[in-house]
Amino acid sequence: MIKCENLQKTYPLKKGQGYQALSGIDLEIGRGEFAAVTGPSGCGKSTLLNILGLLDNPDGGRYLLEGRDVSRFDDAERSDLRLRTVGFVFQSFNLLPRFSAAENVRLPMLYRGVPKEEAAERARALLEKVGLKGKADNTPLELSGGERQRVGIARALANDPVLLLADEPTGNLDSRTGLEVMDLLRSLNAAGLTILMVTHDLNLARAAGRTIKVRDGRIEP
Amino acid sequence: MRFSEAVRTGTLEIFSHKMRSFLTFFSISIGVISIMYSLTLIYAMTSRTKKALEVAGPGRMTVEMKRNGGSDSALDAKEAKSVITLEDALAVRSEFPGLYMVSPGLKKWVELSHGQFSDEKVVEGITTEWKKRGWVYKLRGRFLNQHDLDTYARVCVLIEDGGWMKKPKWYKFYGWRDKFQDYIKHNDMLGQTIRLGNNLYTVVGILREPPAEKNPKYFMGVSNWDPSLLVPITTSQRFLNGWAWSSGGVDDITIDTGKEATIGAYKRKVDKFIKARHGGRIRFEIKDYREIIKERLADKQRDMYTVLIIGAIAILAGGIGIMNVTLATIYSRIKEIGIRRAIGASRGDIMTQFIIEAMLIGFFGGVAGILLGMAGIQYLASKGDTDMMLLQWWMPFAAIVVAVLTGFLASLYPAYQASRLDPVEALRYE
Repeated sequence: MIKCENLQKTYPLKKGQGYQALSGIDLEIGRGEFAAVTGPSGCGKSTLLNILGLLDNPDGGRYLLEGRDVSRFDDAERSDLRLRTVGFVFQSFNLLPRFSAAENVRLPMLYRGVPKEEAAERARALLEKVGLKGKADNTPLELSGGERQRVGIARALANDPVLLLADEPTGNLDSRTGLEVMDLLRSLNAAGLTILMVTHDLNLARAAGRTIKVRDGRIEP
Repeated sequence: MRFSEAVRTGTLEIFSHKMRSFLTFFSISIGVISIMYSLTLIYAMTSRTKKALEVAGPGRMTVEMKRNGGSDSALDAKEAKSVITLEDALAVRSEFPGLYMVSPGLKKWVELSHGQFSDEKVVEGITTEWKKRGWVYKLRGRFLNQHDLDTYARVCVLIEDGGWMKKPKWYKFYGWRDKFQDYIKHNDMLGQTIRLGNNLYTVVGILREPPAEKNPKYFMGVSNWDPSLLVPITTSQRFLNGWAWSSGGVDDITIDTGKEATIGAYKRKVDKFIKARHGGRIRFEIKDYREIIKERLADKQRDMYTVLIIGAIAILAGGIGIMNVTLATIYSRIKEIGIRRAIGASRGDIMTQFIIEAMLIGFFGGVAGILLGMAGIQYLASKGDTDMMLLQWWMPFAAIVVAVLTGFLASLYPAYQASRLDPVEALRYE
């Protein structure tokens, strides 16, 4: 489902210099896999995630998503594909504070052009699925950390993605809540969703089916 | 992205920054108010011009003495002793039979009395041609005829105010009461004898004006020099004592060619003809009616331009305000933009969102301006400003369109900037 060949990414620093975040990543992830990406800070995990999530383009190499080379897509093409195929879960949740939980979940559907009522209905169903029945009208500020992350996951699922990318989804949660969120991700994976999760926590990494270690912009064998 | 959703987001954003939004509303409002005011003035001027031309007919022009002493290189002012006279009018009449009307007028400020009542009024000496000057009256008795003119008859026709169909509120407080009009309303003057200057005149007819709402002359602005009485011009010249502009001649000769197309040609011919009659020793001018109306409206036009410029500046300031607000909004919402991009929003979605927000600011500011402006215009109208009575239903809409358009234009650049933000950087922004 995901195939990367010699992915490279360099961030410009000063004149003529650059910081090479990715220096040749080869990676293959199959449909239905749950992979944890680990590695020290600054090793290029987040850059990899951004490229896989179509937020960024690689400078070199190829990225095949479901057999299509998307590494040279322009911004509009990437936005559209991101909208339809990828769901993001963030460490700091990244919910819109003035909107209710249901409205946050609804947003990606509205960008896709789903009618308002239909989107609202599906948002409620998704919130129920992640265990937030009855909290649909609360704003993020009225929810606990674990609840916020569940809203984040529900939002990531809004457009029925084939790939869920989670950047340290438990990083801002206490360990018990973190485990609950992890259980939720595992159950989603059991239902067939492909998940790629960046984490520092080796216990969580072990709980995922596969661990990918990144160091200095490369994957350790 | 649904339009209604963008509107909702925009409204949330506007109302969570009340002061910032209020300041922008404020300058947009001023712009909208002045736009409405100027539109009303423009409308009033064009409709007055149109109505005035309708009453006058398309072929109207006036021959009158040059009033300001502007220099005329061909002619020394001391030399030019001659004035236009009744005889000029009669000669023009017989020289150019193709003209529809040649109507001389001679106004005098005359003392008038009837029994205990006395007043000073403008009395205009006329010929029978006067009837062709936009007749809007109802006549009781008879009008002046050629026999009156030939025999210097001491007869007169009164012009009675038509009143109002429905008296406006302001009229009670600010309306100027004319005691002569009151007197003739309560005393049937037809057939009576009144004293004008040192002589007695018989009232042979009474002309009643239509009610003010239906009187096209009313909206042209009534002047103190509109006559209340008409007498034969010959009688006026021979017997009537009172103060007049013209020394010995007539005030003006109003000519109607009957057709707009022939004005230019007749203007030249009449000019040459009258000059010849006076051996060139005369300083007069012929103005066609369009020029006269333009002159009358010149002051209002200046007002309008001033207000329009103030309005344009206010709208511009409002636009800059919107641009500033939108830019500030963007910098305080970089994270939000990143989140929206990450969950699938395209550049276009982001741009649309900020543009709609700015257009909403324009819209709310516009609505506020319209409410204030309407109140102001109603107030002016209630004080008797007849221009402001002509506010049309579409003017507020036009003003709103301008306000919303300002929002649109002012937000293009900031919204473009917002849409170009790198989603990865925006997401990382704290």
